[in-house]
Amino acid sequence: MSAPLLEARNIVKRFPGVVALRDVSFALRAGEIHSLCGENGAGKSTLIKLLSGLHPHGSYEGALFVDGAEARFRSLADAERAGIAVIYQELALVEEMTVAENIFLGAEPRNALGLIDWPAVYRESARLLERFGVAIAPAARVAELGVGQKQLVEIVKALAKKSRVLILDEPTAALAEHEVLILLDILRDLRAQGIACIYISHKLDEVLAVCDRITVLRDGASITTLEVAATDKADIIRHMVGREITDLFPRRPSPVGEARLEVSGLSVVARAGGRPILRDISFTLRAGEVLGFGGLMGAGRTELLMHLFGLLGRRVAGEVRLDGRPLGAEAPPAIIRRGMVLVSEDRRRYGLILDAPIGFNLSLSALGEFAPAGWIDEGREFRRNDELFRSLRVKAPTLEAVVGKLSGGNQQKVVLGKALMTDPKVIFLDEPTRGIDVGAKLEIYEIINQLTAAGKAVVLVSSELPELMGMSDRILMLHEGRVGGEFRRGEATPEDLLAAAMGQTAVTLT
Amino acid sequence: MPTKLSLRDFSLAITLVALCAVFASLSPQFLGARNLSLLLTELSITATLALGMMLIILTGNIDLSVGSGVGLLGGIASVLVFHFGWPAPAALGVGLLAGLLIWLLMGTIIVRERVPSFIITLGGLLVFKGLFWLVIQNATVPVVPGGQTNLYSLLTTYYLPPAASFALAGVVVLLMVIAAVRGRRARRSYGFAVEDAPTLFLRLFVTAQFIFLIVLVTAQFRGIPLPALILGVVAFAVHVLTTHTPFGRYLYAIGGNEEAAVVSGIPVKAVLIGSFGIMGVIVAITGFMQTAYSGASTSTVGDLMELDAIAACVIGGVALKGGRGTVLGVLFGALLMAVLLNGMTLLAVSPEFKFIARGLVLSLAVWMDVKLAR
Repeated sequence: MSAPLLEARNIVKRFPGVVALRDVSFALRAGEIHSLCGENGAGKSTLIKLLSGLHPHGSYEGALFVDGAEARFRSLADAERAGIAVIYQELALVEEMTVAENIFLGAEPRNALGLIDWPAVYRESARLLERFGVAIAPAARVAELGVGQKQLVEIVKALAKKSRVLILDEPTAALAEHEVLILLDILRDLRAQGIACIYISHKLDEVLAVCDRITVLRDGASITTLEVAATDKADIIRHMVGREITDLFPRRPSPVGEARLEVSGLSVVARAGGRPILRDISFTLRAGEVLGFGGLMGAGRTELLMHLFGLLGRRVAGEVRLDGRPLGAEAPPAIIRRGMVLVSEDRRRYGLILDAPIGFNLSLSALGEFAPAGWIDEGREFRRNDELFRSLRVKAPTLEAVVGKLSGGNQQKVVLGKALMTDPKVIFLDEPTRGIDVGAKLEIYEIINQLTAAGKAVVLVSSELPELMGMSDRILMLHEGRVGGEFRRGEATPEDLLAAAMGQTAVTLT
Repeated sequence: MPTKLSLRDFSLAITLVALCAVFASLSPQFLGARNLSLLLTELSITATLALGMMLIILTGNIDLSVGSGVGLLGGIASVLVFHFGWPAPAALGVGLLAGLLIWLLMGTIIVRERVPSFIITLGGLLVFKGLFWLVIQNATVPVVPGGQTNLYSLLTTYYLPPAASFALAGVVVLLMVIAAVRGRRARRSYGFAVEDAPTLFLRLFVTAQFIFLIVLVTAQFRGIPLPALILGVVAFAVHVLTTHTPFGRYLYAIGGNEEAAVVSGIPVKAVLIGSFGIMGVIVAITGFMQTAYSGASTSTVGDLMELDAIAACVIGGVALKGGRGTVLGVLFGALLMAVLLNGMTLLAVSPEFKFIARGLVLSLAVWMDVKLAR
């Protein structure tokens, strides 16, 4: 057999403080659809960036080969010249232009005068669209197309550049059922024309339906490559998880008290457009309890927290009660007064005033309490700030240090401190340990223990299964905006959780 | 937050000194007591408006309508006094109320309808200008019927007599020293960095000298002009508001990171509308002073004052993207603008070159702001 079209051998990619890829080898044959599977953080995105030239040659160890010859991509353009194109989840089309204009954007054919040859643009676009079996008019404005059609335009745009390798990152995440079918058909057509495809999806049904082979990544290493004909879902999931949970999660369960937050039959749609976001979600959170929420990217975990906190979506059904009293569409200030706070997953965007000092940030949500007469009692404010500063062990010289200059772990402690300053009863922690080092992680876990010991109720959203299993008293897995499964502490295996996250009711392991 | 002298502050101070030196050498009257007194009045009017503008810019917004607003609100009061024979206090009260309501309305539109403040206030600039000309019927409307005085005209003709001026300056300096010493003691008890005693003494000494210098100079010409006292009150109020109240902290937080402010439970919409409401009151006060200073509402009162106010803010270190700025900086920026305009008027620089100079200073200041923002 001839050399693979695209091959990665023993790739190691390090970021400051993290090894993203430990040892990845992967070969793509001409005319195959090859899936990359793995949990969030397994290294898929990093690998794509490497294959598409975003992480240039020299920033990683190991080697890439195209048609058997070593390839040294210094940029995206280099990879494009080698025939590799990436279709990202966030589409890169100009909405106000026509389909044809988008297809040739940046590579417009010119006429003798050096002006854009518009007839050629539309003629060629029509030819390409037809050749790849895409039924969209070249003169249609992109803004008028559906998400699925946009995706197809993006693919044709890549093919117009004579791409031989298409990399699709979660292409069906935003597609409706019938659009998925159209996309899969077109991919099969492309395969017949000799175009190879790297297909990344959390939806194993699709993967099994369209792919020829599957390479499983786990913790930055390629674990195995499976022939689709000789595998099944259970097998894939086992390879994806296959790790012993050895990390230390010092969860000390606390006595569980009365119900703090009761959600029943909650359905939410987007404020603009009415797209469903959450469907029929029910759960009860009790004092002293850590309720974990898991699920794949886009399953609706963050959306659930943001909605309950009054920041996202419109409720179309269901009821929410906080401390027994109904919670409607209150705004965050009112919700915080009622004892519920949110620590966002994106602390730099939703958590901190980065240019301001630590103290400014810590007291921000609770300033009203320090200013009973209208002006801030700075002595009282300082004492409360200082108390938290010390108990959270924020590593900084003083409260006046600028937050933006602290490490991720210390920034996270400040966001957490700001939330705790409001003396909440219910605390939402969305990915509280993302991007912080192990030491700081353990400190955050310890804080969670102290919170539940003090009778607070905690919602923990995490993409890391070990963390979810280690720190939660109960776990709800979300799948496409629904509850995919509920598990008690110690009851579920990682395979069960992942299966629930993928919408499988039960996985039989052989 | 401790103030640190930077290269920027130094270069601005040098610019100010150089500007004064040039004007003084070209025109001996520049440093005369009469002109300095006028300069102080002009500074007070510019600075009052700029302090209001600071509250708006701190949140990352902008208000281009204040210049027209100055004309309109002053004009409403003038017409009520001159054509309708209202007592001045009532007329000024109506002007204040109109300012508050109009700006609350603009703030509400900006926040609820999500129209950028730049556009709404640009519209306001034109609308208020048109309303202003309608209100005064394109005529000159004096602030007081001929030969008399009223509260309105006294705004820029009353001077605090020298004896009272010295007494007031003494009290102000004493309060300032007490506040500085107490603040330093508190900061030290928190374990924060404090300036050493000699530096503190020097700073207070220089400030006190500066205050007494103003009193001495103004004593040569009737005393402290009333607008300077009004500026003092406004500056003190804005300082307390921005540094010692939740509302002020929220302004900085919103300008620093609006999304985080929302998640932190700050009533962002109410704070933004409130900041515009305060701006409206300040525009009215500025309008009364500026109109009284001109003696009458004429169709050009308030022209381009929004740009002077914005320039004063930016020169004074207020970041246009929001989140950074202090009262002291704005006062300094306003001083630089006031000196520039006063000096050019004194030298009878033609309007063409005045426009060009103002435009260049504004552009230069914004360029510095951008450079500074890394």
